[in-house]
Amino acid sequence: MTGASRPAAPRPVELPRILGDIHPRPRWTETRLLLIVGVALIVGSISLGAGLTGRLAPYEPTLLVIYLLTLAGAHVANVLAGRRSDEVLLPVVGLLGGISLLLMQRLPQDLVTINVAGSTLGLGAVQLIWLVLAIIVATTLGIVVRSDSWLRQYKYTWAAAGIGLLLLTFVFGTDVAGQRLSLRIGPFAGQPSELLKVILVVFLAGYLSENRPMLIEQDTRIGPIRLPPLPYLAPMVAMWAIALLIVVIQRDLGAALLFFAVFLALVYAATGRISLVVIGAILFFAGSALMANIFPHVRDRIDIWLDPFADPLGSGYQIVQSLLAFARGGLIGVGLGQGLPTVGGRPPIPEVHTDFPLAALGEELGLVGVIAILGLFFVVIERGLRIGAAAADDFRAILATGLALVIGVQAFIIAAGNLKVLPLTGVTLPFISYGGSSLLVNALVVGLLLALSDRGVEPPPPPTGVRRWRDRLRPRRAR
Amino acid sequence: MLVTGTRKRPLGRTIVHVAIVLALAFGVLAGAGGYWAVVRSSELSNSPYDPAVIAASRRVPRGDMIDRDGNVLTHNEKDPNGELYRSYSGDEISHVVGYASPRYGRVGLELAYDAELSGLAGDPFSEALRKFGTNPYDPKDLHLSMSWDLQRAAVNALGSHRGAVVMLDPRNGEVLALASTPTYDASAITNPATADRAFQALRDDPAQPLLPRATLGRYVPGSVFKIVTAIAGLGSRAITPDTTYKAQPPAEKDGLLVEGFRIRDGHHPETGNEQLDLTSATEVSCNIWYALTGLQTGGEQLVGYADRLGFDSPIPFDLPTAASQVTNGSGSAPGGFVDDVELANAAYGQAETFVTPFQMALVASTIANGGDLMKPRIVTSISGRNGSREIGASTMAHVLAPSDAASINRAMVQAVEGPLGQQFTTGAKVPGVTTAGKSGTAELGGRGEPHSWFIGFAPAESPTVAIAVLVEQAGRGAEVAAPIAGRLMAQALETQR
Amino acid sequence: MDAPLLMVWVVRLLFLALLYFFLARVVRSLLTDLRAAARQPGASLGRLIVVESPGGDPEAGRSFDLDAITTLGRDVNNAIVVEDPFASAEHAVLTYRGRGWYVEDLGSTNGTFVNGRAIASVAPLGFGDEVSIGQVRMRLERARSA
Repeated sequence: MTGASRPAAPRPVELPRILGDIHPRPRWTETRLLLIVGVALIVGSISLGAGLTGRLAPYEPTLLVIYLLTLAGAHVANVLAGRRSDEVLLPVVGLLGGISLLLMQRLPQDLVTINVAGSTLGLGAVQLIWLVLAIIVATTLGIVVRSDSWLRQYKYTWAAAGIGLLLLTFVFGTDVAGQRLSLRIGPFAGQPSELLKVILVVFLAGYLSENRPMLIEQDTRIGPIRLPPLPYLAPMVAMWAIALLIVVIQRDLGAALLFFAVFLALVYAATGRISLVVIGAILFFAGSALMANIFPHVRDRIDIWLDPFADPLGSGYQIVQSLLAFARGGLIGVGLGQGLPTVGGRPPIPEVHTDFPLAALGEELGLVGVIAILGLFFVVIERGLRIGAAAADDFRAILATGLALVIGVQAFIIAAGNLKVLPLTGVTLPFISYGGSSLLVNALVVGLLLALSDRGVEPPPPPTGVRRWRDRLRPRRAR
Repeated sequence: MLVTGTRKRPLGRTIVHVAIVLALAFGVLAGAGGYWAVVRSSELSNSPYDPAVIAASRRVPRGDMIDRDGNVLTHNEKDPNGELYRSYSGDEISHVVGYASPRYGRVGLELAYDAELSGLAGDPFSEALRKFGTNPYDPKDLHLSMSWDLQRAAVNALGSHRGAVVMLDPRNGEVLALASTPTYDASAITNPATADRAFQALRDDPAQPLLPRATLGRYVPGSVFKIVTAIAGLGSRAITPDTTYKAQPPAEKDGLLVEGFRIRDGHHPETGNEQLDLTSATEVSCNIWYALTGLQTGGEQLVGYADRLGFDSPIPFDLPTAASQVTNGSGSAPGGFVDDVELANAAYGQAETFVTPFQMALVASTIANGGDLMKPRIVTSISGRNGSREIGASTMAHVLAPSDAASINRAMVQAVEGPLGQQFTTGAKVPGVTTAGKSGTAELGGRGEPHSWFIGFAPAESPTVAIAVLVEQAGRGAEVAAPIAGRLMAQALETQR
Repeated sequence: MDAPLLMVWVVRLLFLALLYFFLARVVRSLLTDLRAAARQPGASLGRLIVVESPGGDPEAGRSFDLDAITTLGRDVNNAIVVEDPFASAEHAVLTYRGRGWYVEDLGSTNGTFVNGRAIASVAPLGFGDEVSIGQVRMRLERARSA
């Protein structure tokens, strides 16, 4: 135990890699769950085949096989990497992605076409490509990301990057359906608002965790209301206000709702103060009322939401067809491939592959299927929140919570839009809607959650002071 | 696992709270799913905006409507694209049967029984099984109580007049004929080749051929309304069949003064100074007797008994009906009348009384059936692949005691067969059968010729047919409506033998 | 119903059943997790018992369950908060590596002591050894047997 230094004996492990060797570790739970996923998806493909072709055989099995192999590969990679990360997330996301694949195979393939190397790929194939990429991204992040310092340290940089991205879209972006703005790079179009929500969660996690004691314990008083000290609250609120404003100007109401809900939830989670939530909710409703009065398109949205049957062939058409699809589905659905009676050769619901996949699934899998899918989303949320609750420190806790909420609240918003619980907005259903940017960003979220869930993870470095303590760890005596 | 030892760690608890809120939110979603997929499912599944319904209506042959004699009234034709469209056996049934057009929608029985005819509806059990079956659609046929022959005869009898005829069996409420003129060619609307032109022409026609006058037309009733007054008077015990008024004979000459308004009559030469009772007043259609009876009965009882007959709300029936009224209810006097003047005038069918021919047929039917009004229906059974469902007779209201109904029955017989009555109801009597009835001449206050009305039933001892005839602005009741009624009743009785 | 139609129905219902079977298994593994955590509150790796604490925070006699990595110091973000005037904000970290415990000093002002002797940067720690942070003395013990 003396300080005499010796040339270090060969170590079985390199210390910069955290605790001990990286050795393969079995993940039996994940294996079992993935087996069920595989069987379920194969049965689903047979059901789809029966519905579309009348024969009891898997429909276009090549796509499904590639997908299942990808899942298997991800599982093997997880096992080899040996991190003690969550074993439920990959199967659940895999099942959701598989359902998405079946749905995209089932819809008319010409809804999306991409020409690659001389051949044309339709909706199903393109979605498969995105799904494979998403799984690779999620697994890679889950294995490789070891320290969160790059997230934790530069919160203001992240925030600036986020706003920069948004402004870039605002200036250079293209209009899609008059509502969403995308950035086009070559043949690919992406929606930066998807990435923005993750960036802002990272910023919030850093800011809230750092200033949490201040936000909880010290108050400024405004009349009977006790608020955290305004100087601490202000940068947060300003960030969100800017983000919301820009999003609203872009008319992406769903993203605005999402940001606001996640913001309120994280503030509550960090401070435990309901007063903030109440004030936030009041501000939100006041803001919505104001916007409804100023912007006619917002008021239209709300009118259609309240009574879509008033104009069932015009502005209410989308939501009426969505509800009719659920009604046709009933309790157990009409079967994969057998729903969506065509109107002029097209599915009766416009934008069914992006905005209304739940309605299509509601018709084909019924209420039973829809509840199962909602259950799957809730499992993802639960895993994320549990990772947050068990996290080693506040930053990770708030980050994990925020990431889980980003997926969960978005799923809620669009599902509610399909079911007329909320006005329809343009957000996508995570993992199920078609959309490369949506899939990749959600994969990013899941990957981060996997990384954070490692039960033997590097401890948080001290916020100030000595940083390279790792280098000084030199166990002298093995026990 | 919370890392223990830190001093302040409510973070775990707040996260649990967030989880609970989200769980509730997802629960709401599941509930919404249940609402749309189960609760509203069968209603929405028949929605005309549902593409499955639209597709089915083009592929699946609709059920047919069959009259009481077995004649098929509707047909399914194929257009050049192989899609189906409807056609109908004649113009005279258009207001009953209606039309089913993909562009112009549905009316009539095609609308009222759309779900059954298109094969989508049924009991919830077969609804659930429908998905299992290979042929999920079971279009049902409607069996009608209407007689095509009688309907045609009614339309022909009305001729070029605008008007309506309602005939029903008072014993069970079965509607035998429900005719409105002018008629229209429903097949022209459903045939895709002629649809637009035909519909445009019909819509622009000032004679309003699309209006089902029998059920939706509202007219001043004139003297046929006196039967309602009689019902109210007897039922409320304000009068008896022997009630007479001392004031009545002198008023025949000079008119009856009610609060400054003079009510006049036209039969003074025939009755002189005789005090009339129910029977004789009905025979000569005495306005003054009835005005006095109305005042004696009071507005509240008059409206009350009228409501029992079906006034003041749409009559429950397979087809939509308009509500008839005794008064528009804006007044503060009992019953909603403005004052006694209005009450007195309403008692003999003027003032603010407006009735549908359908309602007046029910009035006749009530007396014919001894005071019990049977619920009217025109569809008697619905048959599909799995059998048929009968729609039976039911009593709509007990309006009057049988003895009172018998009194009015006698009065109405007198109105058709009595020496004076014959002059007012020429042609209404069915040869060889005791016929009861009442004619009416509804004054329109200078806006044209009065409407010609007749209501009645036969045979009076045990009636099997009740009728109401309205001819718009055709003059006195005796001249037009009564002979039409007589002819049609005769034909109806003939077929019933 | 013809035979192929029956099979189609079986397959459809089977798919839905498999979705729920998957959910059931997931829920079961969640509950197992929960039960395991409840049965063994804290890590099964070891405990730190506070032997002496003149300042009273943490209280003497208190036992902390140890994670694989446990930080000690005055800052509230530490896993074990030591409120002692001689403790630094980030004082030391206890880690479980391979099969043994190690304590490392994070550059504290007054140093970390094991069994009374100052450690250089890292020192192994056995069960029964005492580590001192400021004036607070704590002893490493085995975990409560599950």
